[in-house]
Amino acid sequence: MSGVPLFPEAPTLRLAKARGPASSMLTWVATVDHKKIGIMYLVVSLIFFLAGGVEALLMRIQLAIPGNSFLSPGTYNQIFTMHGTTMVFLVGMPVLTGMANYLVPLMIGAKDVALPRMNALSLWLLVFGGLFLYFSFLAGGAPSAGWFSYAPLSEKAYSSSQGLDYYALGLFILGIGSIVAAINLIATIILFRAPGMSIRRLPLFVWMVFITQFLVLLALPALNASVCMLLMDRLLNANFFVTASGGSALLWQHFFWTFGHPEVYILVLPAFGMISEVIPVFSGKVIYGYEFVAGSTVAIAVLSFLVWAHHMFAVGMGHPIDTIFAIGSMLIAVPTGIKIFNWIATMWGGAIRFTTAMLFAVGFLVMFTIGGLSGVSFAAFPIDWQVTDTYYLVAHLHYVLFGGTIFAVSAGVYYWFPKMTGRLLSERLGKQHFWIMLIGFNLTFFDQHLLGIIGMPRRVFTYPDLPAWGTMNMISTIGAFIMGVAVLVFAWNILSSLLHGEIAGDNPWNAWTLEWATSSPPPEENFDLLPPIRSRRPLWDLAHPDDPDWKHGH
Amino acid sequence: MDTENTIDRLARGDENRLAMILFLISEGVFFLFLIIAYAFFHASQKTGPTAANSLEPLTAGAFTVALLGSSFTMWRAEKNYARGRVSAFRSWLGATILLGSIFMFGQGREYFGLYQKNVTVSRNVFGSSFFTLTGFHGLHVILGLISLLILFGLAFQRSERPQQSAVRTIALYWHFVDWVWVVIFSVIYLWAVL
Amino acid sequence: MQGGSILNPTSALAHPIAHLFLIVGVIMAAIFVLVTMLVLYACVRFRSKDNQIEPRQNHGNAVLEIAWTVAPLLLLVYIFTITVQAMHRSDPDASENRPPDMAIVGHQWWWEARYLTSGVLAANEIHVPVGKLFLVRLESADVIHDWWVPQLGRKMDAIPGRPNLFWLEADLPGTYLGTCAEYCGAEHAWMRIRVIAESQADFERWTAQQLAIPSVASLTGDAGSGSQIFQRLTCSNCHSISGLQANITIGPDLTHIAGRQTLGGGVLVNTPENLAKWLKNPQAVKPESLMPDFELTNDQVRDLTAYLETLQ
Repeated sequence: MSGVPLFPEAPTLRLAKARGPASSMLTWVATVDHKKIGIMYLVVSLIFFLAGGVEALLMRIQLAIPGNSFLSPGTYNQIFTMHGTTMVFLVGMPVLTGMANYLVPLMIGAKDVALPRMNALSLWLLVFGGLFLYFSFLAGGAPSAGWFSYAPLSEKAYSSSQGLDYYALGLFILGIGSIVAAINLIATIILFRAPGMSIRRLPLFVWMVFITQFLVLLALPALNASVCMLLMDRLLNANFFVTASGGSALLWQHFFWTFGHPEVYILVLPAFGMISEVIPVFSGKVIYGYEFVAGSTVAIAVLSFLVWAHHMFAVGMGHPIDTIFAIGSMLIAVPTGIKIFNWIATMWGGAIRFTTAMLFAVGFLVMFTIGGLSGVSFAAFPIDWQVTDTYYLVAHLHYVLFGGTIFAVSAGVYYWFPKMTGRLLSERLGKQHFWIMLIGFNLTFFDQHLLGIIGMPRRVFTYPDLPAWGTMNMISTIGAFIMGVAVLVFAWNILSSLLHGEIAGDNPWNAWTLEWATSSPPPEENFDLLPPIRSRRPLWDLAHPDDPDWKHGH
Repeated sequence: MDTENTIDRLARGDENRLAMILFLISEGVFFLFLIIAYAFFHASQKTGPTAANSLEPLTAGAFTVALLGSSFTMWRAEKNYARGRVSAFRSWLGATILLGSIFMFGQGREYFGLYQKNVTVSRNVFGSSFFTLTGFHGLHVILGLISLLILFGLAFQRSERPQQSAVRTIALYWHFVDWVWVVIFSVIYLWAVL
Repeated sequence: MQGGSILNPTSALAHPIAHLFLIVGVIMAAIFVLVTMLVLYACVRFRSKDNQIEPRQNHGNAVLEIAWTVAPLLLLVYIFTITVQAMHRSDPDASENRPPDMAIVGHQWWWEARYLTSGVLAANEIHVPVGKLFLVRLESADVIHDWWVPQLGRKMDAIPGRPNLFWLEADLPGTYLGTCAEYCGAEHAWMRIRVIAESQADFERWTAQQLAIPSVASLTGDAGSGSQIFQRLTCSNCHSISGLQANITIGPDLTHIAGRQTLGGGVLVNTPENLAKWLKNPQAVKPESLMPDFELTNDQVRDLTAYLETLQ
């Protein structure tokens, strides 16, 4: 096909040109190629996902029966802290950053990211930060004050082991890595789009990643400032959060949640982006309402900074403040709802192919809706006064972060694995993975809504033998192990497909965005020639010369 | 096939400067939270060492003038380098480094004096928030000075002189460090006397 | 007895929240059913068939977008209205002038409760007369805790240095279970609460009994030895017993320990055997609790148990 030469001034990679076999270890360690770096992000997040999953299973074993003594309270508390910290910082953020790293330059028609060496830096900061955090297990104990480490429990007086020092410094390192990655992705999207790739033509995944990086840029420094203050308290006897000497325990909460609420959108917006790519392709229809899906993302991003204190409704801030944050929290449901409707409308009237990627995308729609709706119940804050800090909240957060983000990422993996490796994942194993996971996930988390309603608080290493508590916990534990089986099927799928998977070709899904206009995997500089870019779906235009998108003004 | 439909002219922008601007935005948020913490405690600290009874705004003001002066000299250095006047660049850059060092000397002197009066980071919430805020700022100034020194050294080479992009990027950082100090100075020293 | 369900309110303060939860729950369920039905219908109806012509590429419809933006907004306006109503009913503003009736302090890992009018000092288990509205001042002695009795109303954080006020009231007699609901360290799980609501007459009887000072002089035998051990082995440094030493709140007040339903913040049912088990090694029962293992001999445990059992 004729086309446009690649953006001529994109950086050439003078470093790490492979001379030996392409997969030599040194090539990977020294690389500044966004594709290899992206894959390494994904590998790191998978490893930590398994670690976090083991932590979850250990917790579920302990909670399977009342009064269990499988784990001591001290050990359990370290494990639940590390489970949350791992899943947020070492799985959720890296897997999304990794996908973004791999896909964004391809989707905008660039050779690489804007600053390839900084890209490598952000990856290695992730690796170092994760290892540093996990080293705490060997250095006297992991942190055990919960993933959000409220003061004054996090102060030395109440947490004398070094675990929290590892937590604070580890998060600081990870935060720098995230900020560096965000800078790179923003610069890439602003400066390195191929001719014709206007902002309005960006694939929605790229758009969502773009907005998310601004959230990272503004929210992670708040966390970094907070953990610096915590470190000052713990290591230099400062008084930021020490009530006895004039500090404020609540200040930590305000600061943390100013980071923490945007953080949950950082964890979900790129996932929305993946869904926005997968559903149209497997429905055979263009995304419905592109402008509204894109615009609602901006609304979510802005609102996400205005709702932080809905994590603090039980603190006693007073009715006026509670009410203000309730308004924001209810409003933020609207742009999210808009997206769900647009995705359904995309499927409507389509020709739906139920590949594994599409199954996970459809599963996402239902699971995330459950999580989003329980979220709205929290915004009606007298309800929050009852259900916050209970298993109802644990259910909510897992429905949005697992049923939402992880299901979407699963869809993304099945969709883009062929592009990254040149081989398709097995559809047979994929469907098994999907159904086992769907059943296991709901078995684990649905009854936790009920557990919260009948009085079970969160973050408890055991519980009294009250009616139905034991039964519901046991169901949840069984579900967790079923999820574990699903993960094993997934891992097996990845391994066996890497070795024996069906060869994918350039565009196995008949998709329309630029990453499918090159080989699988792409060559080092991504494209030999780009197709002309005159709409949001360059490959659709090529395949439909009589009815290209740009004739409709898109 | 053609692309004449496309309207975008992708100005081949400077990715280093854009990256630095984005980085400085994140740094701005970082300092914002340290400032908010300071302000919160300033409002509540009534006893013991406080800004009003421990600090010397006039002295600090004098050293502030040096720091702001270094922003001016950095600007001149940038302009000269853009016009290829390397030796003028070197002189202005040297002045910048000198003025920045004077500011750090002033910080050190102030810290030493406070330490002698037993105003430390652990003493009370004033001490904690004051030293944390000014300390992180000082750390940023030191990192800036190191960058300027490297730039200064590189400017003496005949070949492989720093790119314009590098100079402008580091200059941006230096200006940020200077002007964030204006905010910090106002919140700590000016507010103390009001 | 059940753990206390939010949807089984027994307080004028908890009813409005349960009511709100049910309405919101029905709305959420309806939306869920709608979304799921649409998704499933689309999956079935629009499944790709062989030799199908390409579907029409529908880029969107602005009117529909506005419709499904405005409709949820209107629904949220309604939800907001009933939310504010429930807020007022479940958490009425306390007048500035009304002094609190009770002071509750959270400790790692037990609850101290002081009746400000009568002077009764209780731990973990409190009695209230049915229908009476208590204004509670809630605070913490160490880290952040949270008082939560689901059947009686909202939860409220106990924050060191920042007292909170909340209302406590039970409509019906019974024992209502609650728990600490803010992770507060190792034994957060065993910081349980019991609120025993009874008739006014029963409550007054209980109050009188709580205020009675046990006499040590009349104790003989094991109990007599036990009371001496209590004083000699520094138990009284942490635990007050009226008549011996009052107003120590490092550990729970033990003046009427034998009358409580549970021990150790709910970790054990209160029986002489369990009390002995606790005394023998508290760290084995509730690891990391702040009571060390005193390595008491079996005889000392027997005597102490006998003594404490006299403290009804």
